[in-house]
Amino acid sequence: MEILEEIAAEIEKGDPASVPALTEKALSQDISAQDILNKGLVAGMDTISERFKKGEIFIPEVLIAAKAMKAGMEIIKPLLAESKVEAKGKVVIGTVKGDLHDIGKNIVAMLLEGSGYEVIDLGNDVPKEKFLEQVEKERANVLGMSALLTTTMTYMREVIESLEKAGLKQKVKVIIGGAPLTYSFAEQIKADGYAPDAASAVDLVKDLLNQ
Amino acid sequence: MENKYRLNIPRLNVLARDQLEQIHLSTLEVLRRTGVAVKEPKAVEILKKGGCYVKAERVRFPSNLVERALRNTPPRIGMCDRSGQPAMFLEENNVYFGTGSDTPNVVDPYTGKRRTSVLKDIENVSRVVDFLDEISFVMCSGIASDVNPKISDVYHFEAMVNHTEKPIVFTAWNLENLKTIISLAEAVAGGEEKLKNSPFVALYTEPISPLTLAEESTQKLMFMAEKSLPVVFTPAVITGATGPVTLAGGLIQGNAEILAGYVLANLINEGAPFIYGGGVTSMDMATSTLCYASAEFMLATSALTDLARYYRLPMFSFAGCSDSNTYDQQASLEGALWTLLSSLNGGNLVHDVGYINNGLTTSFEQLVVSNDVIGLVRRICSGIEVNEETMTLDLIDEIGPGGEYLTSDHTLRHFKENWYPELISRVPYDRWEKEDKKDLGTKARDRAKYILENHTPQPLEKKLKAELRKIAESRDR
Ligand code: B1M
Repeated sequence: MEILEEIAAEIEKGDPASVPALTEKALSQDISAQDILNKGLVAGMDTISERFKKGEIFIPEVLIAAKAMKAGMEIIKPLLAESKVEAKGKVVIGTVKGDLHDIGKNIVAMLLEGSGYEVIDLGNDVPKEKFLEQVEKERANVLGMSALLTTTMTYMREVIESLEKAGLKQKVKVIIGGAPLTYSFAEQIKADGYAPDAASAVDLVKDLLNQ
Repeated sequence: MENKYRLNIPRLNVLARDQLEQIHLSTLEVLRRTGVAVKEPKAVEILKKGGCYVKAERVRFPSNLVERALRNTPPRIGMCDRSGQPAMFLEENNVYFGTGSDTPNVVDPYTGKRRTSVLKDIENVSRVVDFLDEISFVMCSGIASDVNPKISDVYHFEAMVNHTEKPIVFTAWNLENLKTIISLAEAVAGGEEKLKNSPFVALYTEPISPLTLAEESTQKLMFMAEKSLPVVFTPAVITGATGPVTLAGGLIQGNAEILAGYVLANLINEGAPFIYGGGVTSMDMATSTLCYASAEFMLATSALTDLARYYRLPMFSFAGCSDSNTYDQQASLEGALWTLLSSLNGGNLVHDVGYINNGLTTSFEQLVVSNDVIGLVRRICSGIEVNEETMTLDLIDEIGPGGEYLTSDHTLRHFKENWYPELISRVPYDRWEKEDKKDLGTKARDRAKYILENHTPQPLEKKLKAELRKIAESRDR
């Protein structure tokens, strides 16, 4: 089990270079991909998230740890698929049409990735057709939309209505975020959740997928 | 125009001459080597014809092209008030303050609670700006949540122009809305030519960091250049997020973005009234909030002001803004530090007065207190007059050791030259305790309410007002 602790420790240190080799080493010791994922990679990121929430470490340190985690994931991903281990979940995310603010959305995407979710980032200025297409194609568990403008936040309602029309609304959890948004707005447009910041977005996805 | 806007003490530099050169030359290097993505095809065409190297949407700028354009900088941009009278000369060392734009929230001056902004707030801010002596121009402050969001920018403009005579710096959601707003402005000025000759409006638009001229914001820039109307082109480089985390790198990138826009405007219309400036700001890496009052933001703004002076372009700067979530000690200290620094630097069009909650909330308290702070800072910046009358050698000799100056004619003649605050308190403790025991925040809110209840700005002519309503209404579909 030592090797798994070592992996977790390297992730906490934020060393993307060392994690792949350690992951290979763990595999060669006949540790299952699932154990590497949960007891190594995710365990390391859990500590990181806790420390971030407590204000002990900063965003760039979280993001480098997420990068390290992703480097390990790349190696065990095919094995997880083979052994039919359910992935933690797939998130399609983007900033809505007409809106070019993407920093917050990027942070949310990177933290989700760092927590073991597969993230498909559609960038900014994303039209509803593209959201729909990707949700369907990727069989996403979660659709995340970001907007920072009063003029673009209303577009989220349109996206949700199109999901309903296409019969996809029941299949995917919709979460939203961005500076001018509120919990009550999320309720109004029938989103499944709202997160005021990136760390709560990760918690929200966890909660929604555990339901 | 009054001289009080002028910086009469040596301007504060934060970049030495050699550092300015390094940043300028490095900017040319970025423009030549990396270039800028230009998402508006017409702009790409113009830049190509002008001599840039173009590969798809990536535009690279030969250095001599940039240098040549920089020889055409307008050393002064004059802005007028609503009636066409000169109100601001944006030029070296003239400092004017104004509000910011588009905060989703406002602190209601009556309830003291933060709530979503509505159109009435924009009218109210405009009235307060109209009243305050030290505030020279208006930006809409809030974003109206109670009108058609597709044309809320048009409503904002109408609200401002109806409630203040002072110059207006405005935002527009897209080219169509910009055209509508300019037609409103032209109606007020009395026609296209009159607005061009005596502009009382400037557009705020921006590049998207890193190194992108987006489609809509570039269309807006081009339209203003074609019209020869003042335009502010202001990036938001967030160091460590949308630009290098080190300030020198952030400044170089931001400067490259601004100059790319400047070259474009200048190719469209040589000497177009282009206003330099904007934000090289930082992100708080613990909370992920964008800082409106970090030390780095203030320092980088000063450095950009140095660059603006170097290019002889007017500088769009910041003051009176804060990261505090409420109007409190933090809000006033951050606002005041900004005001002092932007003045010492000689920024010209200095905006965001009244912002709290890192640009997400407008505070009337912050606005009226800043008016006092600006007065105080102006007094500092007016400097010290040194001449026979002020050196008073004869008087010193006459009164000599052990005398007093309270009863001298000279004191009577000059004591009113000292600056007196409106809200900042200097009353002795006992009197303060007996009278009201009010702190600055309470007095600020009272003051805002007083202005709202007592000040009526010069209204627009009824016919004109109706005409504006008609133009705006025709877009409200
Ligand atoms: C899916 O689930 C989730 C869950 C949580 C999610 C989430 C999704 N998305 C975000 N979150 C949450 O988690 C994140 C991390 O904790 C947080 O994300 P944030 O994005 O809030 O936080 C980021 C980490 C840091 N914050 C930011 O990056 C935004 C900062 C501010 C200053 C800002 C910036 C930087 C910019 N801007 Co703009 N900008 C402002 C912003 C004022 C402010 N203080 O918010 C705001 C949002 N902008 C505004 C405006 C008006 C505009 N901007 C514009 C442009 C820009 C820049 C391009 C210059 C730049 C964006 C660059 C970029 N690449 O993103 C224009 C629009 C361009 C367009 N079409 O999008 C323009 C329209 C200005 C104009 N007229 O030209 C205002 C919006 C008003 C409104 N409610 O409509 C504004 C509040 C500033 C202001 N007071 O004027 C949470 O919200």
